[in-house]
Amino acid sequence: MIQFNNVSKTYPGGFLALKNVSFSIAPGEMAFLTGHSGAGKSTLLKLMSMMEKPSAGSIEINGTELATIQYQQIPYVRRGIGMIFQNHNLLLDRTVFDNVALPLIIEGYSHKETRKRVEAALDKVHLSSKLKCFPYMLSGGEQQRVGIARAIVNKPPILLADEPTGNLDPKLSLDIIRLFEEFNDMGVSVLIATHDLGLIARMKYRTLTLKQGHMITDGVVDGLKAGATDAN
Amino acid sequence: MQTNYSRQSHHQLGWTGRITARVIRHLQQAIGSLGDLWRTPFTSVMTVLVLGISLTLPATLHLFVKNTEAVTQQWQSASEITLFLKLSTSEQAAQNLVQRIALYPEVENVVYISAQQALAEFKVNSGFGQALEYLTQNPLPATILVTPNQRFSQTQAAHELLLKLEQERNVEQGKLDLEWLTRLEAMAALIEDVVIAIAVLLCLSVVLIIGNTIRLAILNQKDAIAVMKLVGATDSFIQRPFLYAGVWYGVLGGFVASLCVAILANYLSGALRQLTDLYQSQFTLAGLSLAEMLLLQLTAIALGLLGSYISVRQHIRAIEPTAD
Repeated sequence: MIQFNNVSKTYPGGFLALKNVSFSIAPGEMAFLTGHSGAGKSTLLKLMSMMEKPSAGSIEINGTELATIQYQQIPYVRRGIGMIFQNHNLLLDRTVFDNVALPLIIEGYSHKETRKRVEAALDKVHLSSKLKCFPYMLSGGEQQRVGIARAIVNKPPILLADEPTGNLDPKLSLDIIRLFEEFNDMGVSVLIATHDLGLIARMKYRTLTLKQGHMITDGVVDGLKAGATDAN
Repeated sequence: MQTNYSRQSHHQLGWTGRITARVIRHLQQAIGSLGDLWRTPFTSVMTVLVLGISLTLPATLHLFVKNTEAVTQQWQSASEITLFLKLSTSEQAAQNLVQRIALYPEVENVVYISAQQALAEFKVNSGFGQALEYLTQNPLPATILVTPNQRFSQTQAAHELLLKLEQERNVEQGKLDLEWLTRLEAMAALIEDVVIAIAVLLCLSVVLIIGNTIRLAILNQKDAIAVMKLVGATDSFIQRPFLYAGVWYGVLGGFVASLCVAILANYLSGALRQLTDLYQSQFTLAGLSLAEMLLLQLTAIALGLLGSYISVRQHIRAIEPTAD
Protein backbone atom coordinates (compact mmCIF):
# COMPACT_ATOMS: atom_id res chain seq x y z
CA MET A 1 0.00 0.00 0.00
CA ILE A 2 2.72 2.48 1.07
CA GLN A 3 6.31 1.41 0.55
CA PHE A 4 9.40 3.55 1.16
CA ASN A 5 12.75 2.08 0.13
CA ASN A 6 15.90 3.98 1.18
CA VAL A 7 14.28 7.30 0.44
CA SER A 8 16.37 10.43 0.83
CA LYS A 9 15.41 14.00 0.20
CA THR A 10 17.81 16.89 -0.08
CA TYR A 11 16.39 20.34 -0.69
CA PRO A 12 18.10 22.89 -2.92
CA GLY A 13 20.77 24.49 -0.78
CA GLY A 14 21.84 21.14 0.59
CA PHE A 15 19.45 20.69 3.54
CA LEU A 16 19.03 16.96 4.12
CA ALA A 17 15.40 16.41 5.15
CA LEU A 18 15.29 12.59 4.92
CA LYS A 19 18.09 10.07 4.87
CA ASN A 20 17.62 6.44 3.77
CA VAL A 21 14.12 6.10 5.17
CA SER A 22 12.49 2.70 4.65
CA PHE A 23 9.14 1.49 5.92
CA SER A 24 5.86 0.10 4.66
CA ILE A 25 2.25 0.54 5.70
CA ALA A 26 0.09 -2.48 4.92
CA PRO A 27 -3.48 -2.25 3.60
CA GLY A 28 -5.85 -1.56 6.48
CA GLU A 29 -3.05 -0.54 8.86
CA MET A 30 -3.09 2.57 11.04
CA ALA A 31 0.11 4.25 12.17
CA PHE A 32 1.43 7.47 13.63
CA LEU A 33 4.39 9.43 12.34
CA THR A 34 6.08 11.60 14.91
CA GLY A 35 9.17 13.65 15.55
CA HIS A 36 10.17 17.21 16.37
CA SER A 37 9.73 20.12 14.03
CA GLY A 38 12.25 19.71 11.21
CA ALA A 39 12.51 15.96 11.76
CA GLY A 40 11.16 15.27 8.28
CA LYS A 41 7.46 14.44 8.91
CA SER A 42 6.12 17.02 6.49
CA THR A 43 8.72 16.12 3.87
CA LEU A 44 7.67 12.48 4.12
CA LEU A 45 4.00 13.39 3.61
CA LYS A 46 4.90 15.73 0.75
CA LEU A 47 6.75 12.90 -0.95
CA MET A 48 3.73 10.62 -0.55
CA SER A 49 1.37 13.23 -1.97
CA MET A 50 3.82 14.09 -4.75
CA MET A 51 4.35 17.66 -3.71
CA GLU A 52 8.05 16.81 -3.67
CA LYS A 53 10.21 14.29 -5.48
CA PRO A 54 12.71 12.09 -3.65
CA SER A 55 16.40 12.72 -4.26
CA ALA A 56 17.08 8.99 -3.92
CA GLY A 57 15.23 5.75 -3.24
CA SER A 58 11.79 4.64 -4.34
CA ILE A 59 8.24 5.21 -3.12
CA GLU A 60 5.33 2.99 -4.01
CA ILE A 61 1.74 4.07 -3.35
CA ASN A 62 -1.20 1.80 -4.10
CA GLY A 63 1.07 -0.26 -6.32
CA THR A 64 2.38 2.68 -8.33
CA GLU A 65 6.07 3.54 -8.30
CA LEU A 66 6.03 7.31 -7.97
CA ALA A 67 9.41 7.82 -9.61
CA THR A 68 8.11 6.46 -12.90
CA ILE A 69 4.85 8.37 -13.23
CA GLN A 70 4.46 11.38 -15.48
CA TYR A 71 3.13 14.79 -14.50
CA GLN A 72 -0.25 14.05 -16.13
CA GLN A 73 -0.71 10.93 -13.99
CA ILE A 74 -0.15 12.66 -10.63
CA PRO A 75 -3.83 13.70 -10.17
CA TYR A 76 -4.97 10.11 -10.67
CA VAL A 77 -2.54 8.86 -8.00
CA ARG A 78 -3.64 11.63 -5.64
CA ARG A 79 -7.25 10.49 -6.00
CA GLY A 80 -6.23 7.31 -4.23
CA ILE A 81 -5.00 9.26 -1.21
CA GLY A 82 -7.22 11.23 1.16
CA MET A 83 -5.24 14.13 2.58
CA ILE A 84 -6.05 16.04 5.75
CA PHE A 85 -4.20 19.12 6.88
CA GLN A 86 -3.86 21.09 10.07
CA ASN A 87 -5.14 24.23 8.33
CA HIS A 88 -7.95 22.22 6.67
CA ASN A 89 -7.27 23.64 3.16
CA LEU A 90 -10.96 24.30 2.54
CA LEU A 91 -12.24 26.57 -0.23
CA LEU A 92 -13.61 29.49 1.73
CA ASP A 93 -15.98 30.73 -0.97
CA ARG A 94 -17.75 27.39 -1.26
CA THR A 95 -20.25 25.71 1.01
CA VAL A 96 -19.52 22.63 3.07
CA PHE A 97 -21.38 20.57 0.47
CA ASP A 98 -19.31 21.99 -2.39
CA ASN A 99 -16.05 21.47 -0.49
CA VAL A 100 -16.82 17.85 0.25
CA ALA A 101 -18.18 17.23 -3.24
CA LEU A 102 -15.02 18.56 -4.93
CA PRO A 103 -13.18 15.20 -5.33
CA LEU A 104 -16.35 13.62 -6.72
CA ILE A 105 -16.97 16.46 -9.18
CA ILE A 106 -13.35 16.17 -10.30
CA GLU A 107 -13.78 12.44 -10.87
CA GLY A 108 -16.98 12.99 -12.82
CA TYR A 109 -19.56 11.43 -10.56
CA SER A 110 -23.20 12.05 -11.40
CA HIS A 111 -25.03 14.72 -9.43
CA LYS A 112 -27.20 12.12 -7.74
CA GLU A 113 -24.27 9.95 -6.69
CA THR A 114 -22.33 13.01 -5.54
CA ARG A 115 -25.19 14.16 -3.31
CA LYS A 116 -25.58 10.68 -1.86
CA ARG A 117 -21.90 10.32 -1.06
CA VAL A 118 -21.47 13.82 0.33
CA GLU A 119 -24.43 13.36 2.64
CA ALA A 120 -23.05 10.02 3.79
CA ALA A 121 -19.58 11.50 4.40
CA LEU A 122 -20.97 14.47 6.33
CA ASP A 123 -23.17 12.14 8.34
CA LYS A 124 -20.07 10.14 9.23
CA VAL A 125 -18.38 13.25 10.65
CA HIS A 126 -21.65 14.44 12.27
CA LEU A 127 -21.99 17.54 10.12
CA SER A 128 -25.18 16.75 8.21
CA SER A 129 -26.79 19.93 9.47
CA LYS A 130 -23.96 22.13 8.15
CA LEU A 131 -24.41 21.25 4.49
CA LYS A 132 -25.09 24.79 3.33
CA CYS A 133 -22.70 26.57 5.69
CA PHE A 134 -19.52 28.25 4.54
CA PRO A 135 -16.25 27.27 6.26
CA TYR A 136 -15.97 30.62 8.09
CA MET A 137 -19.27 29.81 9.83
CA LEU A 138 -17.76 26.70 11.43
CA SER A 139 -15.52 26.11 14.44
CA GLY A 140 -11.98 24.78 14.01
CA GLY A 141 -13.07 21.25 14.92
CA GLU A 142 -15.96 21.38 12.47
CA GLN A 143 -13.69 22.66 9.71
CA GLN A 144 -11.33 19.79 10.41
CA ARG A 145 -14.21 17.34 10.13
CA VAL A 146 -15.22 18.90 6.80
CA GLY A 147 -11.63 18.31 5.66
CA ILE A 148 -11.91 14.69 6.78
CA ALA A 149 -15.25 14.26 5.01
CA ARG A 150 -13.66 15.59 1.82
CA ALA A 151 -10.72 13.23 2.24
CA ILE A 152 -12.90 10.12 2.59
CA VAL A 153 -15.80 10.99 0.29
CA ASN A 154 -14.36 9.16 -2.72
CA LYS A 155 -13.35 6.21 -0.53
CA PRO A 156 -9.57 6.31 -1.06
CA PRO A 157 -7.58 3.32 0.18
CA ILE A 158 -5.11 5.62 2.00
CA LEU A 159 -5.63 8.50 4.42
CA LEU A 160 -2.73 10.84 5.22
CA ALA A 161 -3.22 13.37 7.98
CA ASP A 162 -0.73 16.12 8.75
CA GLU A 163 -1.19 17.37 12.32
CA PRO A 164 -4.97 16.89 12.12
CA THR A 165 -5.43 17.71 15.81
CA GLY A 166 -2.92 20.55 15.94
CA ASN A 167 -5.39 23.32 16.73
CA LEU A 168 -7.95 21.26 18.63
CA ASP A 169 -8.53 20.66 22.32
CA PRO A 170 -7.87 17.13 23.73
CA LYS A 171 -11.55 16.12 23.61
CA LEU A 172 -11.92 17.15 19.94
CA SER A 173 -8.56 15.60 19.11
CA LEU A 174 -9.71 12.28 20.47
CA ASP A 175 -12.98 12.55 18.50
CA ILE A 176 -11.00 13.11 15.31
CA ILE A 177 -8.73 10.14 16.01
CA ARG A 178 -11.82 8.00 16.72
CA LEU A 179 -13.06 8.97 13.26
CA PHE A 180 -9.79 7.79 11.73
CA GLU A 181 -10.17 4.53 13.62
CA GLU A 182 -13.63 4.06 12.12
CA PHE A 183 -12.24 4.51 8.61
CA ASN A 184 -9.38 2.18 9.47
CA ASP A 185 -11.91 -0.42 10.61
CA MET A 186 -13.39 -0.20 7.11
CA GLY A 187 -10.02 -1.18 5.62
CA VAL A 188 -8.50 2.23 4.93
CA SER A 189 -4.77 2.61 5.62
CA VAL A 190 -4.21 5.61 7.86
CA LEU A 191 -0.97 7.49 8.52
CA ILE A 192 -1.20 10.37 10.98
CA ALA A 193 1.69 12.78 11.39
CA THR A 194 1.57 14.41 14.81
CA HIS A 195 3.80 15.58 17.60
CA ASP A 196 1.01 15.10 20.14
CA LEU A 197 2.80 12.43 22.18
CA GLY A 198 -0.04 12.19 24.68
CA LEU A 199 -2.39 11.23 21.91
CA ILE A 200 0.04 8.63 20.55
CA ALA A 201 0.46 7.18 24.02
CA ARG A 202 -3.27 6.77 24.45
CA MET A 203 -3.86 5.11 21.08
CA LYS A 204 -1.17 2.37 21.17
CA TYR A 205 -0.73 2.15 17.41
CA ARG A 206 2.43 1.55 15.45
CA THR A 207 4.53 4.69 15.57
CA LEU A 208 7.25 5.78 13.17
CA THR A 209 9.62 8.27 14.76
CA LEU A 210 11.81 10.58 12.73
CA LYS A 211 14.77 12.53 13.99
CA GLN A 212 16.82 14.82 11.76
CA GLY A 213 15.68 12.94 8.69
CA HIS A 214 16.41 9.46 10.06
CA MET A 215 13.83 6.86 11.07
CA ILE A 216 14.87 6.12 14.64
CA THR A 217 12.01 3.92 15.86
CA ASP A 218 9.29 1.90 14.15
CA GLY A 219 6.85 -0.12 16.23
CA VAL A 220 4.13 -0.09 18.85
CA VAL A 221 5.81 1.76 21.65
CA ASP A 222 4.83 3.78 24.63
CA GLY A 223 4.23 7.15 22.99
CA LEU A 224 5.34 9.24 25.95
CA LYS A 225 8.50 7.27 26.33
CA ALA A 226 9.26 7.35 22.64
CA GLY A 227 8.67 11.06 22.57
CA ALA A 228 10.89 11.58 25.56
CA THR A 229 13.63 9.54 23.94
CA ASP A 230 13.17 11.39 20.70
CA ALA A 231 13.27 14.73 22.38
CA ASN A 232 16.63 14.11 23.91
CA MET B 1 0.41 -5.31 -8.12
CA GLN B 2 0.66 -2.30 -10.43
CA THR B 3 -2.42 -0.16 -10.59
CA ASN B 4 -3.15 1.79 -13.74
CA TYR B 5 -4.19 5.23 -12.62
CA SER B 6 -4.64 6.77 -16.01
CA ARG B 7 -8.30 7.58 -16.44
CA GLN B 8 -9.05 5.60 -13.28
CA SER B 9 -12.54 6.27 -12.03
CA HIS B 10 -14.39 4.72 -9.15
CA HIS B 11 -17.88 5.40 -10.29
CA GLN B 12 -20.03 2.91 -12.08
CA LEU B 13 -21.39 4.98 -14.98
CA GLY B 14 -21.83 3.58 -18.49
CA TRP B 15 -20.28 5.42 -21.43
CA THR B 16 -23.50 7.36 -22.11
CA GLY B 17 -23.66 8.32 -18.46
CA ARG B 18 -20.03 9.41 -18.54
CA ILE B 19 -20.60 11.53 -21.65
CA THR B 20 -23.71 13.07 -20.10
CA ALA B 21 -21.85 13.76 -16.86
CA ARG B 22 -19.00 15.31 -18.84
CA VAL B 23 -21.35 17.54 -20.84
CA ILE B 24 -23.12 18.60 -17.65
CA ARG B 25 -19.76 19.33 -16.02
CA HIS B 26 -18.70 21.46 -19.01
CA LEU B 27 -21.98 23.35 -18.86
CA GLN B 28 -21.61 23.87 -15.12
CA GLN B 29 -18.07 25.15 -15.58
CA ALA B 30 -19.11 27.40 -18.49
CA ILE B 31 -21.99 28.90 -16.50
CA GLY B 32 -19.81 29.05 -13.40
CA SER B 33 -17.15 31.04 -15.27
CA LEU B 34 -19.83 33.45 -16.47
CA GLY B 35 -20.83 33.81 -12.83
CA ASP B 36 -17.20 34.58 -11.96
CA LEU B 37 -17.21 37.39 -14.54
CA TRP B 38 -20.46 38.67 -13.06
CA ARG B 39 -18.91 38.73 -9.58
CA THR B 40 -16.08 40.99 -10.81
CA PRO B 41 -18.14 43.48 -12.87
CA PHE B 42 -15.60 46.28 -13.15
CA THR B 43 -12.75 44.10 -14.41
CA SER B 44 -15.09 42.17 -16.71
CA VAL B 45 -16.70 45.25 -18.26
CA MET B 46 -13.33 46.94 -18.78
CA THR B 47 -11.88 43.84 -20.44
CA VAL B 48 -14.93 43.39 -22.66
CA LEU B 49 -14.83 47.06 -23.70
CA VAL B 50 -11.11 46.96 -24.45
CA LEU B 51 -11.66 43.85 -26.55
CA GLY B 52 -14.69 45.33 -28.28
CA ILE B 53 -13.06 48.66 -29.08
CA SER B 54 -9.85 46.99 -30.20
CA LEU B 55 -11.83 44.95 -32.69
CA THR B 56 -13.99 47.91 -33.74
CA LEU B 57 -11.05 49.73 -35.31
CA PRO B 58 -9.98 47.01 -37.79
CA ALA B 59 -13.62 46.15 -38.46
CA THR B 60 -14.36 49.79 -39.31
CA LEU B 61 -11.27 50.02 -41.50
CA HIS B 62 -12.43 46.85 -43.20
CA LEU B 63 -15.74 48.59 -43.89
CA PHE B 64 -13.83 51.51 -45.39
CA VAL B 65 -11.85 49.20 -47.69
CA LYS B 66 -14.98 47.28 -48.61
CA ASN B 67 -16.85 50.45 -49.55
CA THR B 68 -13.85 51.85 -51.42
CA GLU B 69 -13.70 48.65 -53.44
CA ALA B 70 -17.41 48.94 -54.16
CA VAL B 71 -16.91 52.48 -55.44
CA THR B 72 -13.94 51.60 -57.66
CA GLN B 73 -15.90 48.60 -58.90
CA GLN B 74 -18.65 50.95 -60.03
CA TRP B 75 -16.17 53.19 -61.81
CA GLN B 76 -14.39 50.28 -63.38
CA SER B 77 -17.63 48.90 -64.69
CA ALA B 78 -18.31 52.21 -66.39
CA SER B 79 -14.89 52.28 -68.04
CA GLU B 80 -14.76 52.37 -71.82
CA ILE B 81 -12.16 51.81 -74.46
CA THR B 82 -12.08 54.44 -77.17
CA LEU B 83 -10.80 53.33 -80.58
CA PHE B 84 -9.85 56.04 -83.04
CA LEU B 85 -9.97 54.71 -86.59
CA LYS B 86 -7.58 55.64 -89.37
CA LEU B 87 -8.77 58.59 -91.46
CA SER B 88 -8.57 56.43 -94.54
CA THR B 89 -11.10 53.91 -93.15
CA SER B 90 -14.20 53.69 -95.27
CA GLU B 91 -17.66 53.71 -93.74
CA GLN B 92 -18.16 50.10 -94.83
CA ALA B 93 -14.87 48.95 -93.28
CA ALA B 94 -15.78 50.77 -90.06
CA GLN B 95 -19.17 49.04 -89.90
CA ASN B 96 -17.49 45.68 -90.51
CA LEU B 97 -15.08 46.39 -87.69
CA VAL B 98 -17.94 47.31 -85.35
CA GLN B 99 -19.67 44.03 -86.16
CA ARG B 100 -16.47 42.09 -85.61
CA ILE B 101 -15.74 43.77 -82.26
CA ALA B 102 -19.32 43.19 -81.12
CA LEU B 103 -18.62 39.46 -81.48
CA TYR B 104 -15.66 39.59 -79.04
CA PRO B 105 -16.56 37.58 -75.90
CA GLU B 106 -14.88 40.26 -73.77
CA VAL B 107 -17.16 42.99 -75.09
CA GLU B 108 -20.45 44.08 -73.59
CA ASN B 109 -21.41 46.89 -75.91
CA VAL B 110 -20.10 48.73 -78.99
CA VAL B 111 -21.10 52.22 -80.11
CA TYR B 112 -19.94 53.60 -83.44
CA ILE B 113 -19.52 57.34 -83.88
CA SER B 114 -18.83 58.28 -87.49
CA ALA B 115 -16.47 61.11 -88.38
CA GLN B 116 -19.48 63.26 -89.37
CA GLN B 117 -21.24 62.61 -86.06
CA ALA B 118 -18.06 63.41 -84.19
CA LEU B 119 -17.68 66.70 -86.00
CA ALA B 120 -21.31 67.61 -85.41
CA GLU B 121 -20.94 66.88 -81.69
CA PHE B 122 -17.70 68.85 -81.57
CA LYS B 123 -19.40 71.83 -83.24
CA VAL B 124 -22.12 71.83 -80.63
CA ASN B 125 -19.98 71.18 -77.58
CA SER B 126 -16.76 73.06 -78.37
CA GLY B 127 -18.20 76.48 -79.15
CA PHE B 128 -16.06 76.65 -82.31
CA GLY B 129 -19.02 76.00 -84.58
CA GLN B 130 -18.43 79.03 -86.80
CA ALA B 131 -14.71 78.44 -87.12
CA LEU B 132 -15.15 74.84 -88.09
CA GLU B 133 -17.19 75.92 -91.10
CA TYR B 134 -13.92 77.04 -92.71
CA LEU B 135 -12.34 73.57 -92.65
CA THR B 136 -12.13 71.97 -96.07
CA GLN B 137 -12.17 68.45 -94.71
CA ASN B 138 -13.22 66.74 -91.46
CA PRO B 139 -10.11 66.32 -89.26
CA LEU B 140 -11.85 64.00 -86.79
CA PRO B 141 -11.61 60.24 -87.17
CA ALA B 142 -14.48 57.82 -86.80
CA THR B 143 -14.58 56.44 -83.25
CA ILE B 144 -15.71 53.19 -81.69
CA LEU B 145 -16.63 53.15 -77.99
CA VAL B 146 -16.16 49.65 -76.58
CA THR B 147 -17.59 48.71 -73.21
CA PRO B 148 -15.93 45.57 -71.81
CA ASN B 149 -18.08 43.10 -69.94
CA GLN B 150 -17.84 42.84 -66.14
CA ARG B 151 -15.02 40.32 -66.23
CA PHE B 152 -12.84 42.43 -68.50
CA SER B 153 -13.52 45.76 -66.91
CA GLN B 154 -10.73 45.22 -64.36
CA THR B 155 -7.65 47.28 -65.10
CA GLN B 156 -5.38 44.45 -66.20
CA ALA B 157 -7.98 42.66 -68.31
CA ALA B 158 -9.12 45.93 -69.90
CA HIS B 159 -5.51 46.67 -70.84
CA GLU B 160 -5.19 43.28 -72.48
CA LEU B 161 -8.40 43.89 -74.42
CA LEU B 162 -7.10 47.30 -75.52
CA LEU B 163 -3.92 45.72 -76.89
CA LYS B 164 -6.00 43.15 -78.73
CA LEU B 165 -8.27 45.80 -80.24
CA GLU B 166 -5.29 47.89 -81.30
CA GLN B 167 -4.21 44.96 -83.48
CA GLU B 168 -7.26 45.55 -85.70
CA ARG B 169 -6.20 46.81 -89.11
CA ASN B 170 -8.23 50.03 -89.21
CA VAL B 171 -7.51 51.14 -85.68
CA GLU B 172 -5.14 54.07 -85.47
CA GLN B 173 -5.04 54.37 -81.70
CA GLY B 174 -6.81 53.02 -78.66
CA LYS B 175 -7.29 54.78 -75.36
CA LEU B 176 -8.09 53.45 -71.94
CA ASP B 177 -7.83 56.13 -69.31
CA LEU B 178 -7.43 54.03 -66.23
CA GLU B 179 -4.26 55.41 -64.74
CA TRP B 180 -6.13 57.33 -62.09
CA LEU B 181 -8.05 54.17 -61.33
CA THR B 182 -4.81 52.22 -61.02
CA ARG B 183 -3.57 54.80 -58.57
CA LEU B 184 -6.77 54.60 -56.61
CA GLU B 185 -6.52 50.83 -56.57
CA ALA B 186 -2.92 51.04 -55.37
CA MET B 187 -4.02 53.38 -52.58
CA ALA B 188 -6.85 51.04 -51.65
CA ALA B 189 -4.39 48.13 -51.60
CA LEU B 190 -2.06 50.16 -49.39
CA ILE B 191 -4.91 50.99 -47.03
CA GLU B 192 -5.87 47.31 -47.00
CA ASP B 193 -2.32 46.37 -46.03
CA VAL B 194 -2.35 49.02 -43.30
CA VAL B 195 -5.68 47.65 -42.09
CA ILE B 196 -4.24 44.14 -41.94
CA ALA B 197 -1.16 45.35 -40.06
CA ILE B 198 -3.29 47.33 -37.59
CA ALA B 199 -5.68 44.39 -37.21
CA VAL B 200 -2.81 42.01 -36.46
CA LEU B 201 -1.37 44.40 -33.86
CA LEU B 202 -4.76 44.98 -32.24
CA CYS B 203 -5.51 41.26 -32.21
CA LEU B 204 -2.15 40.69 -30.55
CA SER B 205 -2.98 43.31 -27.95
CA VAL B 206 -6.37 41.63 -27.38
CA VAL B 207 -4.63 38.30 -26.79
CA LEU B 208 -2.24 39.95 -24.33
CA ILE B 209 -5.04 41.79 -22.51
CA ILE B 210 -7.15 38.65 -22.15
CA GLY B 211 -4.06 36.67 -21.17
CA ASN B 212 -3.22 39.18 -18.47
CA THR B 213 -6.79 39.30 -17.16
CA ILE B 214 -6.88 35.51 -16.94
CA ARG B 215 -3.45 35.50 -15.31
CA LEU B 216 -4.74 37.78 -12.57
CA ALA B 217 -7.81 35.59 -12.14
CA ILE B 218 -5.57 32.52 -11.80
CA LEU B 219 -3.36 34.24 -9.24
CA ASN B 220 -6.48 35.31 -7.32
CA GLN B 221 -7.49 31.68 -7.07
CA LYS B 222 -4.03 30.30 -6.49
CA ASP B 223 -4.94 28.72 -3.14
CA ALA B 224 -8.12 27.14 -4.49
CA ILE B 225 -6.16 25.74 -7.46
CA ALA B 226 -3.58 24.24 -5.11
CA VAL B 227 -6.36 22.56 -3.08
CA MET B 228 -7.97 21.22 -6.25
CA LYS B 229 -4.65 19.74 -7.33
CA LEU B 230 -4.29 18.12 -3.92
CA VAL B 231 -7.61 16.35 -4.22
CA GLY B 232 -6.78 15.05 -7.67
CA ALA B 233 -7.90 17.67 -10.17
CA THR B 234 -6.14 17.50 -13.52
CA ASP B 235 -4.78 20.66 -15.11
CA SER B 236 -7.45 20.45 -17.81
CA PHE B 237 -10.21 20.37 -15.18
CA ILE B 238 -8.73 23.40 -13.41
CA GLN B 239 -8.07 25.39 -16.57
CA ARG B 240 -11.51 24.84 -18.12
CA PRO B 241 -13.34 27.66 -16.26
CA PHE B 242 -10.56 30.08 -17.25
CA LEU B 243 -10.81 29.00 -20.89
CA TYR B 244 -14.56 29.50 -20.76
CA ALA B 245 -13.94 32.96 -19.26
CA GLY B 246 -11.80 33.74 -22.32
CA VAL B 247 -14.62 32.55 -24.57
CA TRP B 248 -17.15 34.72 -22.70
CA TYR B 249 -14.86 37.74 -23.05
CA GLY B 250 -14.71 36.97 -26.77
CA VAL B 251 -18.49 36.59 -27.11
CA LEU B 252 -19.21 39.84 -25.27
CA GLY B 253 -16.29 41.72 -26.87
CA GLY B 254 -17.37 40.60 -30.34
CA PHE B 255 -20.89 41.78 -29.64
CA VAL B 256 -19.61 45.18 -28.47
CA ALA B 257 -17.45 45.45 -31.62
CA SER B 258 -20.41 44.61 -33.91
CA LEU B 259 -22.53 47.16 -32.09
CA CYS B 260 -19.85 49.86 -32.32
CA VAL B 261 -19.32 49.22 -36.04
CA ALA B 262 -23.07 49.39 -36.68
CA ILE B 263 -23.35 52.68 -34.77
CA LEU B 264 -20.32 54.12 -36.59
CA ALA B 265 -21.62 53.01 -40.00
CA ASN B 266 -24.99 54.53 -39.27
CA TYR B 267 -23.40 57.77 -38.10
CA LEU B 268 -21.08 58.01 -41.13
CA SER B 269 -23.73 57.05 -43.66
CA GLY B 270 -25.70 60.22 -42.78
CA ALA B 271 -22.72 62.45 -43.47
CA LEU B 272 -21.84 60.44 -46.58
CA ARG B 273 -25.36 60.75 -47.95
CA GLN B 274 -25.09 64.54 -47.78
CA LEU B 275 -21.81 64.39 -49.66
CA THR B 276 -22.98 61.98 -52.36
CA ASP B 277 -26.17 63.98 -52.87
CA LEU B 278 -23.98 66.89 -53.95
CA TYR B 279 -22.54 64.69 -56.72
CA GLN B 280 -25.89 63.13 -57.62
CA SER B 281 -24.43 59.76 -56.73
CA GLN B 282 -26.47 56.77 -55.64
CA PHE B 283 -23.70 55.43 -53.42
CA THR B 284 -24.79 54.12 -50.02
CA LEU B 285 -22.44 52.96 -47.26
CA ALA B 286 -22.53 49.19 -46.82
CA GLY B 287 -22.42 47.93 -43.24
CA LEU B 288 -21.16 44.57 -42.03
CA SER B 289 -22.94 41.62 -43.57
CA LEU B 290 -24.25 38.79 -41.40
CA ALA B 291 -21.30 36.62 -42.45
CA GLU B 292 -18.86 39.40 -41.57
CA MET B 293 -20.50 39.89 -38.18
CA LEU B 294 -20.27 36.16 -37.59
CA LEU B 295 -16.60 36.24 -38.60
CA LEU B 296 -16.00 39.16 -36.23
CA GLN B 297 -17.71 37.24 -33.44
CA LEU B 298 -15.69 34.08 -34.14
CA THR B 299 -12.48 36.10 -34.31
CA ALA B 300 -13.25 37.66 -30.95
CA ILE B 301 -13.98 34.24 -29.43
CA ALA B 302 -10.82 32.76 -30.95
CA LEU B 303 -8.73 35.64 -29.58
CA GLY B 304 -10.32 35.31 -26.13
CA LEU B 305 -9.70 31.59 -26.14
CA LEU B 306 -6.12 31.99 -27.36
CA GLY B 307 -5.32 34.63 -24.72
CA SER B 308 -6.75 32.52 -21.92
CA TYR B 309 -5.13 29.32 -23.27
CA ILE B 310 -1.67 30.91 -23.31
CA SER B 311 -2.23 32.16 -19.78
CA VAL B 312 -3.52 28.91 -18.29
CA ARG B 313 -0.77 26.88 -19.96
CA GLN B 314 1.81 29.12 -18.43
CA HIS B 315 0.41 29.66 -14.95
CA ILE B 316 -1.73 26.70 -13.86
CA ARG B 317 1.03 24.16 -14.18
CA ALA B 318 3.29 26.42 -12.15
CA ILE B 319 0.93 26.35 -9.17
CA GLU B 320 1.76 23.42 -6.97
CA PRO B 321 0.06 22.47 -3.71
CA THR B 322 1.90 23.00 -0.46
CA ALA B 323 1.25 21.41 2.89
CA ASP B 324 1.45 24.79 4.67
